[in-house]
Amino acid sequence: MKGMFKKLVGVTAFSSLLFLSACGGNSEQAGGDSEGASDGKVKADVGVVSFITGSGAAYGEAIKGGLELAKEEINEKGDVELNLIFEDSAGKQDQALTAAQKLINSDNVTAIIGPTLSTEMNVVGPEADLSGVPIIGTSTTAEGIPQIGDYVFRNSIPEALAIPASMEKAIEKYDAKKVALIYGNDDVFTKSGFDTMKATAEKMGLEILTTETFQKGQSDYNAQLTKIKSYKPDLILASALYNEGAVIMDQARKMGIDVPFVGGNGFNSPEVIKIAGDSSDGLIVATPWYGEKEDPKVQGFVKKFKEKYGNDPDQFAAQAYDALYILADAIKNAGEADRDKVRDALAETKDFEGILGNFSFDEEGDVIMDPTVLVIEDGEFVVFE
Amino acid sequence: MLIEQLINGITLGSIYAIVALGFTLVFGVLGIINMAHGEIFMFGAFIGVMITSSLKAPLWVAFAGAIVITAIMGYMLERFALRPLRHKQGVSHLAPLISTIGVSILLENLSHHLFGAGNHPFRASFAEINFQIGSITVYLVQIVIFVISIILMLTLSFWLGKTKAGKALRATAENLETASLLGVDTKRTITMTVIIASAMGGIAGILVGMAFNSVTPQMGLSMGLKGLAIIILGGMGSVRGAMAGGLILGLAETFIVVYGDSGYRDAIAFLAIIIILLIRPQGLFGQKIST
Amino acid sequence: MIAELINPYYLQVASFMLINIILGISVYITLSTGQLSLANAGFMGIGAYTSALLTIHFELPIVVGIIAGALVAAICGILIGIPTLRLQGVYLAIVTLGFGEVIRVVFVNWETLTNGSVGISGIPHIGREILSTLQGFGFNPSMLGLQNNQFIFLSIFTLLLLVTIFIIWFFRRQHSSRVGRAFAAIKLDEKAAESMGINITYYKVLAFAQGALVAGFAGAMYAHILAYISPADFAYHRAVEILIFVVFGGSEVIWGPVFGAFFLTLMPEVLRFISEYRYMIYGLIIIIMMAVRPQGLIDVNMLNWFKRKRVKGGHKHGAGNQKGM
Repeated sequence: MKGMFKKLVGVTAFSSLLFLSACGGNSEQAGGDSEGASDGKVKADVGVVSFITGSGAAYGEAIKGGLELAKEEINEKGDVELNLIFEDSAGKQDQALTAAQKLINSDNVTAIIGPTLSTEMNVVGPEADLSGVPIIGTSTTAEGIPQIGDYVFRNSIPEALAIPASMEKAIEKYDAKKVALIYGNDDVFTKSGFDTMKATAEKMGLEILTTETFQKGQSDYNAQLTKIKSYKPDLILASALYNEGAVIMDQARKMGIDVPFVGGNGFNSPEVIKIAGDSSDGLIVATPWYGEKEDPKVQGFVKKFKEKYGNDPDQFAAQAYDALYILADAIKNAGEADRDKVRDALAETKDFEGILGNFSFDEEGDVIMDPTVLVIEDGEFVVFE
Repeated sequence: MLIEQLINGITLGSIYAIVALGFTLVFGVLGIINMAHGEIFMFGAFIGVMITSSLKAPLWVAFAGAIVITAIMGYMLERFALRPLRHKQGVSHLAPLISTIGVSILLENLSHHLFGAGNHPFRASFAEINFQIGSITVYLVQIVIFVISIILMLTLSFWLGKTKAGKALRATAENLETASLLGVDTKRTITMTVIIASAMGGIAGILVGMAFNSVTPQMGLSMGLKGLAIIILGGMGSVRGAMAGGLILGLAETFIVVYGDSGYRDAIAFLAIIIILLIRPQGLFGQKIST
Repeated sequence: MIAELINPYYLQVASFMLINIILGISVYITLSTGQLSLANAGFMGIGAYTSALLTIHFELPIVVGIIAGALVAAICGILIGIPTLRLQGVYLAIVTLGFGEVIRVVFVNWETLTNGSVGISGIPHIGREILSTLQGFGFNPSMLGLQNNQFIFLSIFTLLLLVTIFIIWFFRRQHSSRVGRAFAAIKLDEKAAESMGINITYYKVLAFAQGALVAGFAGAMYAHILAYISPADFAYHRAVEILIFVVFGGSEVIWGPVFGAFFLTLMPEVLRFISEYRYMIYGLIIIIMMAVRPQGLIDVNMLNWFKRKRVKGGHKHGAGNQKGM
């Protein structure tokens, strides 16, 4: 028996040795292998932590698509040469943290883009900050993300900015006084969106008739909607991801609820129209991304994205696309792939003109930009006025 | 509103009942909880979506396709995950449970790769037909679901009770060896059971797709866990129990939304089974369990 | 010298591996009386939330929080264990599965306490806490030639390794004691065990509570390593993942779950390109293992073979439990 035990200790010791020796070569902290090359190009490795497998894989795929496209264009231009290293987090904090550790310590990336979910960022952000690696969230919209530390940024428009913008416009137009709320209570994204909605509604002095919840994997929202219908609200505030949100709208319209819906960030996707069809008319969302904008940059992106992947880009793709451009810009300005210098350059990003519009970071690394409020009319997103 | 909610509850309950019938059939004959049933149900729904929206085929083709494919899946499940465990020395009674958990994980993740993670709408003009009774809108699909669940329950009861195949099934359920000695082809009977149960899952999948216009890879898990709770509630292996349990759960979930907190909706099923197992372990309609 | 060799990424993987080993052991303990508990993800959650809330709101030391977390989980284990003991095999498995789900739903809905699905962030980090305590004594990682985050992860890893070794040692001792023999007898044949005068209620609850205690402990450690927890961490998938460690490694001897957790945590890291298919592979592993080797990779016979000792009597798996170790 003692022999067995010794064996285990031996095995553990041996395997830890294996780990250690495997990483012996490259433990310099500041991206030693990616310094400026002789031809004036700055070469840099950028790590991406993304939700590539599992229930949120649709977001991960969009983000990956946006980043790949941006990378090709940036490398073609030739000021900087970026190399993307993708790691999957499967939407789980521990896996996101492990993936980030790998990128930070083994791959020695200059900066990280991702992770996809705010929950993951809550875990990865402090670690990246501690290790001094700039990290940009492209889809993390919850409160307090850039406040994690100096190295944490995001270019995704926070719910706290987007939801009040769309609510104000919708309430003004429809003269709404009574609202009903519905949200997914077991998802951090929809829950924090709901918190913002509720706070905004209270601030605006709206009467909240009822608050209903739903859970992941549910496909029957009839009970909640029937209840909401009986209160006859002027407006429904729905904090849902588009997958569920589209189905909610579909079932609501079938039931005869025809009031407009105001959705959060996660509700904003062309997929809503695909899933819900005509039923999606009347959805109001604030978005940093509007694919119909008559801006050659935007149209160029939409065209290229569609050629490459066969579908229209959503905000996840667009935000990821812009994030890499912002990062490339910062790396170019920093002049070398040094983590601290890139961070400083990132923090100075101001009036960056991307496909999302005019973009700056505030002193905390949060977003300064004006969202566009959109509404679905006749199966198309149009600017809401 | 009450009537509308009743209709909602009964529709949901009927779907639960059809899912639970699949569980109960397998449990009744094999004494096995088929944790993969929810995923087979989900595959049925996806096959329906693929056939109606991608191939633009009529609805009955979708039903036929889903039944065929889920039946094949049922056969594979029996052949590769259950049969190897039978008559094996030293296999604990938990082995089939664990093995079907394996199948469910495999299928859930396979569906992510095959169909993508997103939600697929179910476009069938049939699903749009509705009547207006006063201020209440009733969809034909809702009625169809209820009727199909009743028909399935009655057919199953009749088939088990009155036909030769059904008797063979019950004999197999009673005692595998004795049934085999009496000339029942137990291997065939068991395979048939799993196939029929899976095909019923496929039917339920399409019905859900039509009723709620929503098909996702995650629906299998949530529906599977509910079905599991229902057969414990109604009594393991009881056809009537599955039906009653399904309706009770459907109504309970609807009415907690009406009068209570919708946040606890998912917990009802499990609170119910915890309570029922403590008070009446054989379930509402079950025979006394002999341990 | 050594400083250059210590990579937080590998320590991180190793730490999660140790936590998974502890979780695997928690299922193994309950299984050693023939009961399958799928509630261990729930117990893990109870441990994690208890410790996180105590250390945040009452500013208790992490050690106290972790111990409290494990104890609260154990108490819940006793509370759920006593009434469910009448249930056998699959019924127990389903009830424990249901219990785990109910716990998750409570975490989601009890917002004033748990912050709902948004989760609890800012949980004291055990490694950073150790560092700051040591710094209070005038210690600095650079004395060892280490950077701060290297030291942090090294200390977490060392701590977990010691605890894991202790847990393995304890349960191996228990296995060859009176308690362990009673467990094995109950697993083999409950009625026979009862007629031999073994108090099966006592031992079954004991096994259940021990499993809950260990799972709760692992959960509390998890909370203080990630510094953030949310209800989704303790859902059905976690329960199944823990089960896979045991099914794959083996449920007869403690080395089974240890190996299972070790291998299955390492595999996706080493072969990251397969991580996309990880869960499909998990599913296949379960099916194949159940069909080919239901006792798991490592069983009593294999251990005996390892020891290269001749085994008296040709006992099969299961029957070998009492003498196996």
